[in-house]
Amino acid sequence: MNRTISILSLTALLSVAAVACTDPTVAPKSSVTSANIFNDPNSYLAFLAKIYGGLIVTGQRGPDGNPDIQGIDEGFGEYLRLYWYLQEMPTDEAVIGWNDPGLPTLNTGTWDASNSMVNAMYYRVFYQIMLVNEFLRQSTDAKLAERGQSDPALIANVHQYRAEARFLRALSYWHGIDLFANIPLVTENDALGSTPPQQAQRADIYAYAVSELNAIIPDLPTGGPADAATYARATKTAAHMLLAKLYLNAGVYTGTPNYTGAVTEAQAVISAGYTLETNFRHNFSSDNNTSHELILVSAQDGGNTQTWGGMTFLIHAGCGGSMSAGTYGIDYCWGGYRMKQQLYSLFGSGDGRASFFWTSGQQVNVDTIGQYSNGIAAPKFTNKTSAGGNGQQTTMVDTDFPIFRLADAYLIYVEANIRGGGGSAANALTYLNQIRERAYGNTSADFLALPAVDTILAERGRELMFEASRRTDLVRFGVFSSAAYLWAWKGGVVGGQALPTGRDLYPLPGNELIANPNLKQNTGY
Amino acid sequence: MRPLLYCMGAILMLWIDPNTLQAQQTTGTIRGRITDNATQQGLQGVTVAAGGRSVLSQPDGRYVITGVPAGAQTVRARVIGYTQTTSDVTVTAGQEVVADLALTGQAVTLSEVVVTGYGEQRAGNITGAVSSVADSQFNPGRVISPQMLIQNKVPGVQVVDNNDPGGGLSIRIRGATSATASNEPLYVVDGVPLGTGAGGGLSAGRDPLNYLNPADIQNITVLRDASAAAIYGSNAANGVVIITTKSGKGHSGAHVEFNTNASASTVTRLPDMLNAAQFADAVATYAPSRVDSLLGQNTNWFDQIDRTGYGQQYDVSLTNGTGDMGYRLSLGYQKQNGIIRASSVDRLSLGINYEQSLFNDRFHISTNVRGARSVDSFTPGDVLGNAAAMAPTQPVLNPSSPTGYWDWNTTNASPSNPVASLALASDQGTTWRSVGNIQAGYRPTFVEGLSANLNLGYDLTKADRQTFYPNNLAAQIRQGQGSLYLANNSQGTSTLETYLNYAPQVAYGPGMLDLTGGYSYQQSHAEYPELRERGLQSNLLGDNGIPPATNITNNKSITDFKLISFFGRLNYNINDRYIAGFSVRRDGSSRFGPTHQWGTFPAASLAWRISQEPFMQGVGGLSDLKLRGSWAQTGNQAFGDYLYYPTYTYSDVLTKVQIGNQFITTIRPSAVDEGIHWEKTAAYDAGLDYGFNNQRLSGSIDWYQKNTSDLLFNVPVPAGTNLGNFVTTNIGKMKNTGLEFALSYRIFEPRPGHLNWDASFTASHNTNELVAINPSKSVARILTGNISGGVGNLVQVLQPGVPINSFFVYQQRYDAQGKPVYDPTTPTNMYVDQNGDGLINDGDRRPFHDPSPKWIIGHTSYLSYGKFDGGFTLRAYMGNWVYNNVASANGAYQNLTGSGMPSNLHASVLTTGFVVPQYYSDYYVEDGSFLRMDNITLGYSFNLKNQPFRLYGTVQNAFTITGYSGVDPTAGLNGLDNNIYPRSRTISTGLSARF
Repeated sequence: MNRTISILSLTALLSVAAVACTDPTVAPKSSVTSANIFNDPNSYLAFLAKIYGGLIVTGQRGPDGNPDIQGIDEGFGEYLRLYWYLQEMPTDEAVIGWNDPGLPTLNTGTWDASNSMVNAMYYRVFYQIMLVNEFLRQSTDAKLAERGQSDPALIANVHQYRAEARFLRALSYWHGIDLFANIPLVTENDALGSTPPQQAQRADIYAYAVSELNAIIPDLPTGGPADAATYARATKTAAHMLLAKLYLNAGVYTGTPNYTGAVTEAQAVISAGYTLETNFRHNFSSDNNTSHELILVSAQDGGNTQTWGGMTFLIHAGCGGSMSAGTYGIDYCWGGYRMKQQLYSLFGSGDGRASFFWTSGQQVNVDTIGQYSNGIAAPKFTNKTSAGGNGQQTTMVDTDFPIFRLADAYLIYVEANIRGGGGSAANALTYLNQIRERAYGNTSADFLALPAVDTILAERGRELMFEASRRTDLVRFGVFSSAAYLWAWKGGVVGGQALPTGRDLYPLPGNELIANPNLKQNTGY
Repeated sequence: MRPLLYCMGAILMLWIDPNTLQAQQTTGTIRGRITDNATQQGLQGVTVAAGGRSVLSQPDGRYVITGVPAGAQTVRARVIGYTQTTSDVTVTAGQEVVADLALTGQAVTLSEVVVTGYGEQRAGNITGAVSSVADSQFNPGRVISPQMLIQNKVPGVQVVDNNDPGGGLSIRIRGATSATASNEPLYVVDGVPLGTGAGGGLSAGRDPLNYLNPADIQNITVLRDASAAAIYGSNAANGVVIITTKSGKGHSGAHVEFNTNASASTVTRLPDMLNAAQFADAVATYAPSRVDSLLGQNTNWFDQIDRTGYGQQYDVSLTNGTGDMGYRLSLGYQKQNGIIRASSVDRLSLGINYEQSLFNDRFHISTNVRGARSVDSFTPGDVLGNAAAMAPTQPVLNPSSPTGYWDWNTTNASPSNPVASLALASDQGTTWRSVGNIQAGYRPTFVEGLSANLNLGYDLTKADRQTFYPNNLAAQIRQGQGSLYLANNSQGTSTLETYLNYAPQVAYGPGMLDLTGGYSYQQSHAEYPELRERGLQSNLLGDNGIPPATNITNNKSITDFKLISFFGRLNYNINDRYIAGFSVRRDGSSRFGPTHQWGTFPAASLAWRISQEPFMQGVGGLSDLKLRGSWAQTGNQAFGDYLYYPTYTYSDVLTKVQIGNQFITTIRPSAVDEGIHWEKTAAYDAGLDYGFNNQRLSGSIDWYQKNTSDLLFNVPVPAGTNLGNFVTTNIGKMKNTGLEFALSYRIFEPRPGHLNWDASFTASHNTNELVAINPSKSVARILTGNISGGVGNLVQVLQPGVPINSFFVYQQRYDAQGKPVYDPTTPTNMYVDQNGDGLINDGDRRPFHDPSPKWIIGHTSYLSYGKFDGGFTLRAYMGNWVYNNVASANGAYQNLTGSGMPSNLHASVLTTGFVVPQYYSDYYVEDGSFLRMDNITLGYSFNLKNQPFRLYGTVQNAFTITGYSGVDPTAGLNGLDNNIYPRSRTISTGLSARF
């Protein structure tokens, strides 16, 4: 009997032990998991906010310390900063003397497929796309029902969130095809995994982005100038603006221009109620959230949204030489970008858009890239309010980056009209002169008739200087890599020379070609 | 804890067997005792054979052979390291006959018992590459961390220098096997594995192993090859370091040992910066507009921050042993100031060891409890970097500034006064760590040769760290406005290890069998709460309180870890001539997903002791010749927890995102490979042990190759496949190949009144090659090696076909005078255009040497004459390359004209003339080969009132001969000499006494 009891108890103990003593599994305690995160209804907006945040912050700790992407300094790897580098540095606009990895060859158009800035931009684009895809997979009606989330308000909100996410995906696909052309087209229907995706054609992704934007417009909020509820969010107007941008460059992306589409979409934007700010610089000040001209921004905030990229970079790096940091509401100057002389020469006397240029101690010509004194400085962005007040703090800035603003919509309308896209020539002239009149404070610089299209390239240079649009514009006008328009250090020589074939596009990352054997490198790399 | 108790209970019950087997009586029995002729002590494990039966002697030397046929018999006693002895007896049926034998030592070192993990073996019978270093051979002088004791003593072992007092030391055994996981060996202290990483545990200070007072260590054994280490399965890929602490066992009577020493350390080399006159000249030439800002002083900033570091150490121990019982109590105190002001370590340690044997030695219990408190002070902030960069023309003090220290205007990014940081900021850590275990061994009567062992261990650490930078420091005014960091980390690990050993005293087949099987359970729980403040509103509290601040971040994370293992080993020994060992271990780790948790790690090793062959007897004075060969597979899981688990991370308060008019805390999905699994290293080793003239000359030669596969790598994944551009996945392959030589020679054997001289040499060569980092094996590279200077510059590379962390730089062109060419307008004149495209860009950088030494050579001599003893240790590295980051970051005239005020320049700029920094020039990659006199010791022993005393003096780092131009050619693991803590020369004197 005793023996039976001891055998039984031994067996019981051993079977408990057999499980407890041979199972090494432990679950994480202090992090939330994919299994439970979406049981919290707030998680859907939190995830959407992460996708918006992917354009401006670099990770989950501010200003750094927990990065989203790897292989690059966290501050460099910020979406806007990278996009700005790629859109401004090799053009006639900006030059930076820093030796940061990848920067020197961006100045001169001599980058290669292992340029870390170029590579990081590619990964930032896909980081956004993958976040959106995951969000779309996690936020379907079926998933919500599965989790027992039946609150009609939540379901309605999630529908709008999904449209916003798809807008952000279209935005990044636009950046992707503009910079890299043929890239993979990955959607929410492609499961996560290790199978490398196929390469898609630039035109197919263009068509996908256009169809997505048209599909989501009904679900997007209407919004309006400085509208509290939709500030820094995708609105119907933002979607029209993105369509206008896509159509304006359709010739580059597909070989078939669509200036008619550009005029139509620009008109939709212009009719949405936004107005030009009387004070041009209000758009680039720390209170630009009150500007009635901004259609979509990447919002930064000294107290809540910190990064070493974005506007922190744009404001600090635009300050240097004999400037006083306090003038721009910041702690100190990084001595980064200045204008190349070709950009500077676009500005006529009396142009208010040149009023903030800093010439003291600066020379016009960029003879030596490494010398901050070479090139006139143009601190366009500031952490001061339009009334001269201070931001919340001086290291991290409050100023938001204008992704889309009305003046650009005007210029799209004008250019597309001149290029035969229809619409009203009279309206086009009015729009152009409204921009001129704001710049000069009077009608002295008005155009009497619509000028030749090349003049619009110059006007875009003046109006949209340092707003990350230049490379796309130069490519559209066919002068980015050709010898038709030379600027300092183009091609690596001080006087400028044509870039080698294929430089209208950036290379796909060298590592990516190995990781994904389906990819074919762009011509010239 | 509950699972641990279950596991323990179950195992204890398995041990209890109600039936006691009765031994069969036979007609004749031989009984006796085997002793060492010289010491008269009993010898354990001697094979005693008679009448076709053989047994092994007990720990006290006693043996019993039963069932011996009646009649005349010869008893043969044989053990490695002793001459075989025989004795003739006459066995009578049903009777016992006594035969005591005394063995004469022949090559006693071969018979020394070495702890090899879950058991012991005689040195001569070990089939793997194992090196054991006893306390008498330890490095003397100022020793803070245990690893320093065996520097230069073991071939194939690189103890990486860290000049910070008590700084974390890394050990590389036969090169690095992983690029992502830890490359540190597993430490096993008194049978308790200390977990993954460098000594497991946490530290608020420097080296987590610092809890262990080096004075308490008896022996350090290094399991170099995988077959020896494989019994530890996971993490054994990097080798195993087994530390045995001193105990009272084997002593008779109580005695007290006392040891004290005092040391003084001075700086040897510092970065070669411009002096005030040279600096003023450079400013006048390259930044004339800034000449006005120079104040004409002559300040050597390094003189302002360094000092002679004094240290003192006291160790006292009480040891007692009586027959069945032994204990040792020890108390140690050490205080060591670093040669840079504000750096110091202060350690108080306590150790208790108690051992007891019961029931005729059948039950043995021992317990070790050790605790230590280490208070570490660190040099705050970038004091070394600022000392290099601060202009020598500027004064230290400025009575009119709020802090009293001179600083550049804070409206620009200039260097800041390092003396102010030293005076006003603080960085302190306090670590409490206690590690203890109870070990019980039982040899039941019912199966002779069986022993059961249980080892229960704990490891508790509490590590507090406080860092405080007041808001009035120049660097803080520029950025941060004062910061405070407090962390109160804690970790608790409990370990259960149990195994059965069956070493029957009779032969199985032609040889002796030794079987071990066991189970191990380890669980760990760690909590990391921390507080960060920026924008301090008050400096008055220092790091003692939590002042109001504009920016406060709290964080806490918890990690749990479990490792469960089953293991078995079989050793088979035929006449000490043919020896085989097989082991297998199955490990389950919580660091992998449920379907990938378990890994199996087998090992096999063979040894042929050629010297035991009859045909080798008496050949050329040979006392030992053993050929060894082994193969083993080991694993590695020494990386972060939950890497396979898809999680979401919340943003902190500074990365909220504006949506409309509200700021939203975001969530980010993690990019994981849920299928990650064990890294595996397959290792081959072929070795030869030799000894001549009764081991007067002895040594070993080893060749090895370690192939690591399924290397966990954080690699770029194809865009569009995961939620991040890098994912940690099993993708790489790495190979280490090497040769090791060891030689010991008793040049003059100890004789009274004569000179005694022992010398030993070790040499090891290792070649590392990263074989693949992606499945298609094509060339791809991952940049690594973040340097100072600029932002985000990476000068090293992980690339297939070259050693890991090879430097990745441009090939500098030199002019006819041997000066590097500087021509920024035509980069192809400066650098070789490797791909011939007419441009100099990233495509023209190429792998160029690497930081790990190709050869490590060590020599130790020990001499004594009469009452004097002395010794020295020499070390040489060959083929270790160093990137002189102080030169590259400060050696450019642009540093005078940047957005900040002029920084001091490295003297290399006088040669290079670089205006813009050329971080990627191979000019800065230098050969760091060196020869260093690591220590010289002289001691004098004398008796005072019949008590032995020894006085000694030691010089550490007496000299270094190197062509390297920077601070220290042993610049850490990664070969980046980036304002590293300078190396010191330490002179210490000490006294030890025994009562």
